[in-house]
Amino acid sequence: MQHHFDTPEQQFNASKLGMWVFIATEILMFGGLFCAYAIWRAMEPNIFDQAHHFLNKILGASNTVVLLFSSLTAALAVRSAQVGKRNMTTIYLVTTIVCAGIFLVIKWFEYSHKFHLGLLPGHCFGHPWFSATVQNGQEVGTCLRVHADQTSSMPQWVRAIDESGHEQLLPPRANMFFAIYFCMTGLHALHVIVGMSILVWVLYKNLKGTFSPAYFTPVDLGALYWHLVDLVWIYLFPLLYLVGKPE
Amino acid sequence: MSDAHAHGHADDGAVHVHIASSRFYWGIFGALVLLTIATVKVSYYDFGSMNTVIALLIATMKGSLVAAFFMHLRHDKLFNTIAFLAAFLFLAIFILLTYDDLGQRARVEPDYGSVVDRETGLAAPGGAPATSATVDEVEEEAPHAAGSAAPSAHPAEKPAEKKE
Amino acid sequence: MAAVDMPHVGAGHHAADSHGDPDAMYLKASHGIRSWLFTLDHKRIGLMYLTMVALAFLVGGVFALLVRLELFSRGKTIIDGETYNRFFTLHGAVMVFLFIIPSVPAALGNFFLPIMIGAKDVAFPRLNLLSFYIYLCGVAILLTSIIMGSVDTGWTFYTPYSVQTTNSVISMTLGVFVLGFSSILTGVNFLVTVHSMRAPGCTWGRMPLFVWGMYATALIQILATPVLAITLLLLCAERFFGIGVFDPKLGGDPVLFQHFFWFYSHPAVYIMIVPGMAINSELIATFSRRAIFGQFAIAMSSLGLAILGFLVWGHHLFVAGMSEFATMLFSALTFLVAIPSGVKVFNWTATIYKGSILWASPMLYGMAFIFLFTIGGLTGLFLGTLSVDVHLTDTYFVVAHFHYVMMGGTVIAFLGGLLYWWPKMTGKWHDEFKAKIGFWFVFVGFNTVFIPQFIMGSRGMPRRYYDYLPQFEIFHRVSTVGSWILAIGLFTTAYTLLEALWKGKPAPRNPWGSAGYEWMTDTPPCLANFHKQPVFTRGPYDYHLATAEELSTGWDEVGGEPGSKKD
Repeated sequence: MQHHFDTPEQQFNASKLGMWVFIATEILMFGGLFCAYAIWRAMEPNIFDQAHHFLNKILGASNTVVLLFSSLTAALAVRSAQVGKRNMTTIYLVTTIVCAGIFLVIKWFEYSHKFHLGLLPGHCFGHPWFSATVQNGQEVGTCLRVHADQTSSMPQWVRAIDESGHEQLLPPRANMFFAIYFCMTGLHALHVIVGMSILVWVLYKNLKGTFSPAYFTPVDLGALYWHLVDLVWIYLFPLLYLVGKPE
Repeated sequence: MSDAHAHGHADDGAVHVHIASSRFYWGIFGALVLLTIATVKVSYYDFGSMNTVIALLIATMKGSLVAAFFMHLRHDKLFNTIAFLAAFLFLAIFILLTYDDLGQRARVEPDYGSVVDRETGLAAPGGAPATSATVDEVEEEAPHAAGSAAPSAHPAEKPAEKKE
Repeated sequence: MAAVDMPHVGAGHHAADSHGDPDAMYLKASHGIRSWLFTLDHKRIGLMYLTMVALAFLVGGVFALLVRLELFSRGKTIIDGETYNRFFTLHGAVMVFLFIIPSVPAALGNFFLPIMIGAKDVAFPRLNLLSFYIYLCGVAILLTSIIMGSVDTGWTFYTPYSVQTTNSVISMTLGVFVLGFSSILTGVNFLVTVHSMRAPGCTWGRMPLFVWGMYATALIQILATPVLAITLLLLCAERFFGIGVFDPKLGGDPVLFQHFFWFYSHPAVYIMIVPGMAINSELIATFSRRAIFGQFAIAMSSLGLAILGFLVWGHHLFVAGMSEFATMLFSALTFLVAIPSGVKVFNWTATIYKGSILWASPMLYGMAFIFLFTIGGLTGLFLGTLSVDVHLTDTYFVVAHFHYVMMGGTVIAFLGGLLYWWPKMTGKWHDEFKAKIGFWFVFVGFNTVFIPQFIMGSRGMPRRYYDYLPQFEIFHRVSTVGSWILAIGLFTTAYTLLEALWKGKPAPRNPWGSAGYEWMTDTPPCLANFHKQPVFTRGPYDYHLATAEELSTGWDEVGGEPGSKKD
């Protein structure tokens, strides 16, 4: 226990409160992006509807389940620490970290597909420098440039095959959807990486045998942070992948 | 580590927490997966404007499960819940008061960036007309946005205010 | 003796050099440079913050003097237009982000908040130290950006100019981003400290108003600063990748940046002023030697300001092209802020009424605060009125209003607080005569600077302009001369405080005869703040309950203070 606390309970409660307040700040930080999302979705519902078909529901749902499972193992890690099963804590923490890795790998595939189609934010939307028209021997997308002006920095029309196999013509303003998509999921991915680092540190402490049923605060706080990452994704997934008119 | 300096607490000052069973956590996980499947299934049906509401409702149910049980809010100090919910309250203030500006302005026509009247869908005064440009005209159409601050023909309506 | 009561169990958790005898005076508990660099003592961290904040104030002040000097006469006086733009941007950025936001909470708050609730330290001492180093990091990044060409956008970094301009906006925003983290950590720390570290008997109702102010400030820091973080990240992404969120050509909206920015920055002006009010409540109570009138109301008005501060940011955007509906809504909401502000001003006045006033230098600042803040607050109502604002926006009227609240409010309270607590912090007694001379120079100088600005602003002199019409010359000249008087006052005050360090007589435990908790302990406090776990049996303003000994020498902790715990 640290010198300025009177009891371990006081220290535990203070740490928990600190973490919860920090979680509140994280929610408000993401809140800026949710605000941007809400506004553009309200202003341009058709664009959002059209563009969201380029996100793969199945990959998104798989990632959701992966994160939910990692959340479960994080909660179980805390439970093992509470009852003093150090080896179980180790196993659960490792599972959580591996799941985080799987999440990032799936995300990587999703991102690279967007890059191939030229579905990027802002100036890069439809820019031929990023886009490959052919992927795996199959034509997937074309950036429509009227003039031969390859140096234009304006977003372009994009004709590409969406995730349900339909060919779609996306207007330049669809770049806003992808701007928000990349900002939100990018910031979330950053949090996944930070969360992984925290869990690795907790794992190291656990292997060193720091924790006991009387003192497991870092496991608890690390798991809280990880649940926050999960919580944000729980909202990101439907808002980006699912909302809109179905085919 | 222990000391008997506890003041104002009825107990011994040690850490006491509610410990749920592993089976319980697995049950919560099961419920979360079911809700995930539900939200994906539901997305294949069109409920019009309710799409978003339903999706957010299911997401909130999932989020509440995570917060209440995985994050132990159910058995935690009340103030932690207050801190958590306060974040959402202020987020709501943020979004609503921002939206009362951007949502109340003349709407921007999605494809070409021109300004249209929210009520009628016609080109708004001061804004460029929303023409049906073909792909070939894109290069000219894309960058433009409406001129601003032109006097409004409908005093009750907002003038087009999309600013460059 | 008292040390027996202290649970020193955590010794092993600390770096050896931060650890010392808890009963030794905090400056002597450990020695050497490492004992400062790695200290976990909130009092030393507060002093380190104070040093940095004072340096920032000096730097920001020099920029202000240069800007004023340039405006002394029409055309070019000393610097060209580009440099002028950079100087006023730097004056704003340095003063806001480096000085005024951390000034009261991180410096004085760090030092006194734990003492005033009878705690041994803040809840997270290591986080506290981390927040200081993050602050230093932010300062370093900001300095780099100044060297790399500086910024001429104004401290608000409005798009689209901040996206297009060629100078070092990115490093400047990154610096501010980092400083925001420091601010968040301080806020989290204080909030948790107030919740979980209060001594027995220090109920919410008895909590000193300074602590209430810090608590309200912490709430704002926690809830608003993250939005600044995301705003600045988006601005950087906009510059790096052109994501278009703020770019109308790509479908974005530049006014959205202003919404994002002011969702932080309007509450942030309450981060700046609420601590000033918090100090002022202490000053008024102590020097009127009375229980403060409406303690509960003042405490609640701090919280009220914290919450209302989140509802009114749109009044910065009245002429930015916001929808008419939103302008009306925000204008109406803005007037609500006058209620908690009024509650405070009236309660302070009621406290002074029939009080036994001691005209010491801190009280002069306390009185000046009420006077100047009232002017600043009322002119804020002019600006909140939609139709008047259209005329006054971007004129010197806004500049004068802002400085009346920030300088006439927070800086005055900060100086008052410094003089008030200097004996407790350093154990040295300053020269009251010099302090009062300094005060009068500050007071007269300040008004000389800004009253002409009100006048020329209402006559249409736009702010941030490098040059001006002949009819404004006299106002600018008076204003510039005022800035010199103000500078003399500030240097006199700084000299008075520094002189006390080497020439001052040892200060008594309770030199002002205050009933506040922080005066009950040693001067300067020992490392653990109190020798024994204090138990508060009366409120911090209960002059009718405080004994004569308490009002002269505080608690005699060695012999067992009143209400001492017997375990």
